[in-house]
Order: sequence, then C-alpha cells, then structure tokens
Amino acid sequence: MIQFERFTLPNGLKVIVHRDTSTPMACVNVLYNVGARDEDPEKTGFAHLFEHLMFGGSVNIADFDNVLQQAGGENNAFTNNDITNYYLTLPATNIEVAFWLESDRMLSLAFSDKSLEVQRSVVIEEYKQSYLNQPYGDVWLELPKLAYKVHPYQWPTIGKELDHIKHAVMGDVKAFFQKFYCPNNAILVVSGNVTLDQVKALCDKWFAPIPAGNPPLRKLPVEPKQTQARKLELERDVPVDAIYKAYHMGARMDQSFYAMELLADILTDGNASRMYIELVKNKKLFSEINAFTFETFDPGLFIISGKLSEGVTLQAADEAIQEELKKVVLAQVKKDEMEKAKNKTESSLIFSEMSILNKAMNLAIFEVLGSADDVNKETDRFMKVTEVDLLVEASRVINENNCSTLYYRSKSKANGN
Amino acid sequence: METETKLDRVTMPALGKPSKIDIIHATETNLANGIPVYSVNGGTQDVVKIELIFPAGSRQQDMPLIADTTNVLLEEGTTKHNSEEIASLLDYYGAFLETSAHHDYATVSLYSLGKHFSKVLPVLEELVKQPSFPQDEIDVYLTNKKQRFIVEEKKGRVVAARNFPALLFGNNHPYGHTTKIEEFDTVKRENLAAFHKGHYSSNACTIILAGKIKDQVFSSIGDNFGGNDWKTADAQVNGKPAELEPSAERKHYMPKEKALQSAIRLGRVLFLKNHPDAIPFQILNVILGGYFGSRLMSNIREDKGYTYGISSGVVFLKEAGYFQIASEVGSDVCDKALVEIYKEMDRLCTETIPEAELQLVKNYLRGNVLRSMDGPFALAERFKQVWLHGLDYSYYEKYISTVADITAAQLKDIACKYLQKDSICELVVGSKKA
Repeated sequence: MIQFERFTLPNGLKVIVHRDTSTPMACVNVLYNVGARDEDPEKTGFAHLFEHLMFGGSVNIADFDNVLQQAGGENNAFTNNDITNYYLTLPATNIEVAFWLESDRMLSLAFSDKSLEVQRSVVIEEYKQSYLNQPYGDVWLELPKLAYKVHPYQWPTIGKELDHIKHAVMGDVKAFFQKFYCPNNAILVVSGNVTLDQVKALCDKWFAPIPAGNPPLRKLPVEPKQTQARKLELERDVPVDAIYKAYHMGARMDQSFYAMELLADILTDGNASRMYIELVKNKKLFSEINAFTFETFDPGLFIISGKLSEGVTLQAADEAIQEELKKVVLAQVKKDEMEKAKNKTESSLIFSEMSILNKAMNLAIFEVLGSADDVNKETDRFMKVTEVDLLVEASRVINENNCSTLYYRSKSKANGN
Repeated sequence: METETKLDRVTMPALGKPSKIDIIHATETNLANGIPVYSVNGGTQDVVKIELIFPAGSRQQDMPLIADTTNVLLEEGTTKHNSEEIASLLDYYGAFLETSAHHDYATVSLYSLGKHFSKVLPVLEELVKQPSFPQDEIDVYLTNKKQRFIVEEKKGRVVAARNFPALLFGNNHPYGHTTKIEEFDTVKRENLAAFHKGHYSSNACTIILAGKIKDQVFSSIGDNFGGNDWKTADAQVNGKPAELEPSAERKHYMPKEKALQSAIRLGRVLFLKNHPDAIPFQILNVILGGYFGSRLMSNIREDKGYTYGISSGVVFLKEAGYFQIASEVGSDVCDKALVEIYKEMDRLCTETIPEAELQLVKNYLRGNVLRSMDGPFALAERFKQVWLHGLDYSYYEKYISTVADITAAQLKDIACKYLQKDSICELVVGSKKA
C-alpha cells in the first residue's frame, strides 16, 4: 500500500507526494505525457532524441548533471512508446535543487546547436549498439512493423530509421517542446523524506509561475482487427534460428492485460512453467523460451520468443508453440498454476515497493493512465482474474489469424544446408 | 505567490546541511553449529532475504566451469524433489531464488515475504544440503548454456569482456581464464557432486540476513541450518595460489568483420581493497569515468558523440584488484576515441584537478554513499562488500573521511603512479575500417 497525497497547480501541473521517513533520500519524478506514439510518422525517434536534449542545458542552467551531482544527486530518464519519464534521487536535504532544475527545464531549454549535433550522434551510436550491432537486435524494428499497420506502435522508440534522427533540426526541437513540454501535460511525483507542506511550498515557488501550454488532444488511429496470419522471414548473421510470435491483446488497464500477464507467467516463468518444462526440458526444442507482454497503454502485443535447439526446424518450433497455446484455449489452467502465478505477482509488487524511486514512478504512470489510486489496486486486479476469465481472454488472443510470426534464420545454417 | 520577476532562477539554491551518515551495522549471532549470521533489520516491507555464502567460486575449482555449474544445478533437483517440484514449492509462496558464482565465492539467496519465510526455508535447506545433480538436467543445462555462449560471442562487448581479464592476469590465472566452447563438454556429474561436497558445507558457510527480521526468522534458520548434519571434514576454503602472467604486449586487436561499433577495453592490475591507495584511486576513477559527468563521458560522449556510453571502474577481488575502461564506439571513430581516452588519463597525471570539479565529485560521492546504504538489502550488501575482503565498517568511515579530505595534489600523485600509458593494456574488438 502506497500512501500519497495530491494537488494540482493552477497551471495544470499535477503533483503527487509520497512520504517515506525510513530513508534520508528523496526522489523527484517528472513524467511528460508524450511518447513515440505521438510522433510524426516522417520524424520518428523524436521523443527519445528529445529526452537526450533535456540534459543539454535549460534556459537558466547550463549543465543539468553538473548541478545535480554537486547536490549529491543522480538521475536518468527513459522514453517508451507512451511516455517520457525523468527521475532523480538526492539527499532529501537538497530537495530544492531538484525543484530548481526540473522547473527550469520545464520553463524552457537552452536549445543549443552543439547539444543537438552531439546528441544526434550519441543516439545514432545507441541505435547501432542496441539494434544493429548485436545479434537479433533488429527484431524489435521488424516485429512491430509487421504487427501494426496503422497505429504508431509500428515504430520503435529509437525511430524507424537512422535518417529520421540524422535529419532532426532545431526547428523540430523547438516545436516539440512547445507542443508537449508544458505543466498541464506533466505529472510531478515527489517521494521520500519530504512533507506535503514542504512540497507545496516548493511547487508554488518553482513550478507555479510556469505558464500552461496547449498540449494537443491525442487522436491516434485505432489498429484494425487483424484477420489473417502474417509472416516474415529474415536471414541474418546469427548463430541459431529464432522465432517470434506476436498476438494482439488489450490495453494496459483492460482486464485482458491482467489475464495475459498471468498467462505469460504460467507459460514460461521459471522451472515449473509449462513451456519451459514441455519445450525446453522434455522435447528439447528450444534452448530458451519467453512469453511476455509489452505493457503498452494502448492495445498491445502478447509475445512468445524462442531460440531453437540444434537441428530443430522453424516450422517444428512454430507448431510446438501453437500446440502448447492450444492447450490453454482448450481447457482452463489448473487451479494451482493460477495460484502460483498470482502469488508470485503479489510478492513482486510488495518487493517493488521497497524503493522510493519505484514507488514514485508507479504513481506517475498510474496517474497518467487514469488515476494514481490504481497503484494500490494492482494486486486486487490480478487476484480477481479467474481461470474462466483467463480461458476467455486467451481464446480471444490466441489465434493464428491474430498473430504475426517472424522466422529469424541463421545465415550460416542456411548456407550449410 | 512569488512572481516570475522576483524569482532568482539563475543561482543554485543553497545546499542543505549534509545529512549525517549513520551506517547501520549488521549484528552477528551464531547458529549452534557455529555458522555466523549477520543481519540487518529494517525497512518498510515485510520481506526477508537470506543469503548463504560459500567459498565455492571459480578460484576454488580444479576444472573450468565447475563452480558455476554446481551453483546453478543446486535448484535442478534434490534427493527428494525434482527441478519442477522445487520451483513449484517456491512459486506457491511467491518466493524467489537467486544463485550466483563469482571468482572467490558463490551464493544461494532466497527472497520471501516475512509471513511465508518459515515455509520456504526448508526448500532452501534441501537444495543446499542434498542436491542430486541429475544427469539429464546437467545435459539440458550445458547444451543450452553452450548455445547462449555462442550467441553472446557475436557481441563485440562480450568478446572484449571475456578476453580482457586474460590479458591482465594470464589465461592460467583463475581471474584471467577465458572460457572456451569445448570446455562445456568436460563438465562431469561426479565433479559437480565432489565440488558440492567439498565447498557447500556448514563449516564453510556464512549467512547474511536482511529485511524485517523477527525472532521466528532466527529460530527457523537454526532449525534448517544450525545442525551438524552438513559438515565436511576438510572444507576447502582457499583456492590454489596462482601466478600472475600478464600479457607482454600492451596493445591487442581482435578483428570482427563488418562491426558497426568497436568494443574497447583498457586497464591494468591494481592492488587489494585494503591497500592505502585503494580509496584515493576509487575517487580518481570516479573523476575519470565513474559517473555521468566524468571526463570520459564529457569528452567522448557529450562533446564528440563517439559513443552511447563510456565508463571506468575498479574491481576488487580477494587476491587482486584491477581497473578498466569499457565502451563501444563507432568503428569509424575508434582510433580517435582511443586518442582521447589516453589524453584524459594523461591529463590527470599532468594537470591539477580544478577545485570546483573536485568539490562536485566529493558532493556526488557523499550522496552516493547515502544512496548505497538506503534500505536493509543495500546495507546487507555494504556489509558483505567489506566482510568478503576481511575488512570491517571502519572501511566506510575511512572512505567518507577520505572523500571529505583528499586534495587535488594527492589525486595527481595517484594518477601519476597508476595511469601511465605504458602500464595500460588495451583491447579493441571490432572492425578497423567501417
């Protein structure tokens, strides 16, 4: 249970405060309600590039990191398809420095040409490091493109292609800031050794003077129902064949999400999971197999990915996965399987509340999804899923006509055949 | 409300009085059989972590991969339950198992909700005392591990990480050995069982506990681990002594066709954690490449954009310490990046660190100490990191006072002593022409 209080500033900034006196630290988390899904299809990767630029100096402060480090702090940020999130921790006695820093870059950036030039290169290196220069790296460029035809989840956060990043110009940067980086498009969460009164006073001082903006209403195209199986084969310089299957499922706050998360757990989490026992241990078709969801805010994907054992064909691997999935659709999962999956989930949630950073991030994410109150309803939402619910949901999702399958072939193997 | 015109947004708000750093010490008790139990009680959540530490690392093994494989296989079957049953028992109570083998030691940890601790502890007891090492489990594990090994070998940074220690220590040194693919075929069941018998015993075990520790937790641990039923006559605590055989060549290059990025490692062997220069060198390392604002990051990422990230670090093992810089840089700018890296090391030897930068690092490190001691799990880790090296909490007091007192002149001396170019070993894995 995370206790918290909240208020909204006249400029629209939502503020949430969670007090935890067991720590000498404080955490400040600022979430901007903009992600890769909000990008222009011709200028993808922009939300993420912009996140880098948020560290390149703000209107009154030349170097964000330098100042924060002087205050004993540490920070980072991430961008995903849905949001951009900035977080820092520092000794609670220096909390005002965090307010100074975060409010200044919400007010305006320095928009330095040098910063744009350098961060373009840095992001290009990041693109290479994560997607191009490692085995199976481009799966996450290709699979979403196959699964989504209309919705912007079809491109990854890093961008569709390197050229979109190379061609980013200062005009784009300024327009992006104007459009999305305003108090009424943000959520501020402060957690740790702070009081509500203290946070209120600091907010009045540092954030209240920032004028409200006009963030656009989000009108994203809805992905039409997939009606036919989609297939893609790639051949790459990798040592072993791999298979990826992506099924359309519900959105983060739908009942579907909770059912599919539990199903993923039942299928591949740990030594007692179904696919691990059947496909890795017994049939020895895979060296590893994983089921997971993308946890996206809009309707997402349920993914099965696996690396094939020596001598197994992609087709045999695909059939074996489908056979296991068929079992889930034909009969309810066993009571004890469900109980284990739920207990593990409950326990993970309790462990995750050990850190003020996790707590702050979760509060911000649930607030942008609808209400921070939901953070304390997660356990119940998982507990409420019945075996019948899971069967109904799995039957809806698990269907080859709702699936995009990627065969990722090893080039050396193909040549050897 | 103050208006924008009155608010000074240019001057940094005054820093608060540095909070006093209270290092909460682990308390020591002993089980009836003598096993020391160090515990850190605290936190807001009703959770417990128990970690059993054994001298069962790669330094203690006679053949490659034995320490690692023994450690992993503990959860793959006991005389009473198979792998699936063990996982089911733990899953049912939402408990998590974590095994890990290092150079000098191996650990088996269990994370549990406080209310279920006494129910899952017998499972931990079983897999620590009576693993059965089933042959089919060994086969599946090794086959799949071997495949993962091959996949990982495709990553330049992995190749660099795997080969660099051999250049520093020599391939025959336990800290320097590079695993070869054919070694996976040499692992035999009897070696695992023998290694377990010799190293996972009550007379070589230490326990670290963290979380909300109630009296009942101690009695459960006593029941499950306090007996004399898992003692070995000759617990093999120490590994064989080994000679350092560093590479005679300073520069090494491993080609990797068509790599878009080259993985870089530079470094050298240092001293032990108890050496008088150990703390000053760690501070110097932070300035060079140990935090986001470090000189390497500022120059090679934030000024030149050659990389997504570059960092340096100091590793202290029981019998040796070493320093290394790691990065992946665009293949087309690899040579330029190397020039800049050496330049940054050289600058530390020839120029005095400006006072403002030193003060910043001191403040940052003080905040870091607070962060690293936040919560019972972190505090338990701090205890372990001194205990492993035969040190005590005075190490942290020394660390905090050195951070406060060290001067730019002292750091320059340290840099001159340890960062001379001809003492630095270099490995590049990648493509020279992009």
